[in-house]
Amino acid sequence: MNKTVNRRDAGLVLLLGGPVLLCALAIIVPLLLTLMISFWERKMLGMKPGFTLVSYQQFFEGARFDVLLRSFWVALTSTPLMLLIAYPVAYLITFKIKPSQTRAFLFLLSVPFLVNYVIRAFAWADLLGRQGAVNSFLQWTGIADAPVDWLLFSDFAIYLGLVAAYMPFMVYPIWLSLAGIDRRLIEASWMLGEVPLMTFLRVVLPLSLPGVCAAAIFGFVGAFGEVAISQILGGVGYQLMGNAITSALDVLHYPMAAAMSSVVVGCMLLLLLLWLRFFDLRLFLGKMLGR
Amino acid sequence: MSSLYRLAIWACLAAVMVFLYAPLLPPLWEAFRNPTTGTFTLDNFVAITTDGTLLGALRNSVLLAIIVGIAAPLLALAAALAVRHFRSKRMIITILLLPLFIPGVSMGVSSALFFKLVGISPSLLTMATVQTLWALPFAFLIILTIMSSFDTIFLEAAYTCGSNRWQAFLDVELPQMSQGLQGAAIFSVIISFNETIRTAVVQGGNNTVQTYIWSKYQQVGLSPNMYALMSTIIIVTLLLILALLALGREQKR
Repeated sequence: MNKTVNRRDAGLVLLLGGPVLLCALAIIVPLLLTLMISFWERKMLGMKPGFTLVSYQQFFEGARFDVLLRSFWVALTSTPLMLLIAYPVAYLITFKIKPSQTRAFLFLLSVPFLVNYVIRAFAWADLLGRQGAVNSFLQWTGIADAPVDWLLFSDFAIYLGLVAAYMPFMVYPIWLSLAGIDRRLIEASWMLGEVPLMTFLRVVLPLSLPGVCAAAIFGFVGAFGEVAISQILGGVGYQLMGNAITSALDVLHYPMAAAMSSVVVGCMLLLLLLWLRFFDLRLFLGKMLGR
Repeated sequence: MSSLYRLAIWACLAAVMVFLYAPLLPPLWEAFRNPTTGTFTLDNFVAITTDGTLLGALRNSVLLAIIVGIAAPLLALAAALAVRHFRSKRMIITILLLPLFIPGVSMGVSSALFFKLVGISPSLLTMATVQTLWALPFAFLIILTIMSSFDTIFLEAAYTCGSNRWQAFLDVELPQMSQGLQGAAIFSVIISFNETIRTAVVQGGNNTVQTYIWSKYQQVGLSPNMYALMSTIIIVTLLLILALLALGREQKR
């Protein structure tokens, strides 16, 4: 880039740096404060500054720890499930259909994603219920004689809800990586006599890993901190981390809510750091950064 | 490529589409149905127009959408320009995209605790802040994409013709990016209009249309009126997306 464009002055720094700094502070300061509050003591209707590990101790020894383990397990198992759908979709729209159709398809994919996922979860509850469309269909075709009970308020419903909520969003990073692959590499592999499957495993898949990992983090984050889907589709008493945090907040147990939230955010930042460590952001956002 | 193979590809993609679009239908079905007789009715929609709390919530939703629709694209524009001009590109991008990687509840709880500690009581302002931070990564990515297709040689040309940096930006670059800015604005409005969890944590006594449905669900369960409200939200969102699409077409021309 030329020097004239890159030249900076105080006004520019203030005009651009001010808002950016404000946003950065608005994102980071609350997270740090939450970490701080997690070490505070609980008072009857609030909190008191101090340094104690009581909240963490209660968290790790009580029933809330089971919720953490369950959330971790659900996130860990639902993420591959989402990838198993998102990757083929991204692959098909990148390589198997016309570029003009790819754009249209990506657009169609984002439409339901933009409708509030809480509303979509309500809709799934309606579809999966005893008198819902799915059960009606199963009985009409004769696949089932009586309404199937495990469709709603079950693990099945949770996983279905999570996949429906977060899978569409995961297609984008994978598509970004796949679209960035130099097609000549695939042709070279073909010319060197590799069969399509091996070309995929040894060329396409490794090159798409940055997108796959970004997508995996999106899915994991969504499932780990889930509030709405667990409550709507999981049934009475089913909790994931998001529910545990909001219920601690409902009883005004701020240090506990802060401790649980900090653990969740800590896990996410760890994943994010690993991702940034292994993959260059510029590799992934290269197009957008104009390189 | 054989036609059977093509058919299989389209069948897979169509199946995914059915899976994603199916949940948009049940609220419509429930909203237009009389719960006792099962016949077609518009009563549920009439009922929601006379609900005072809901009308207040709707007013809040619209106000928030306007605030977020203006604030997020402008902040994103500043950030995108900062990415071009400043040296710490990586850090700016990582921090601004952070809300994408943090669960909504955590972001909401952190903001709520922050506001509580600083002594800001829940208001439209707190809700707007939380929603703007959530819309920002999306607006930022949209503007970065648009900006990357702008050739900075145009700016050089403007400088050569004697314009200063401000003029060059206003007269040369901004017009080329205006579609992207509008796109980011509509996207932000849609995100603001469809946000529940983050907003619910900092709402205090205020409601948006979304938090209204959520609290009704938690207190008394869903009624046909709520389905009518959801249908309205779905339809408005689809209309906004159509506006986005129209914008894209205009851009192509």
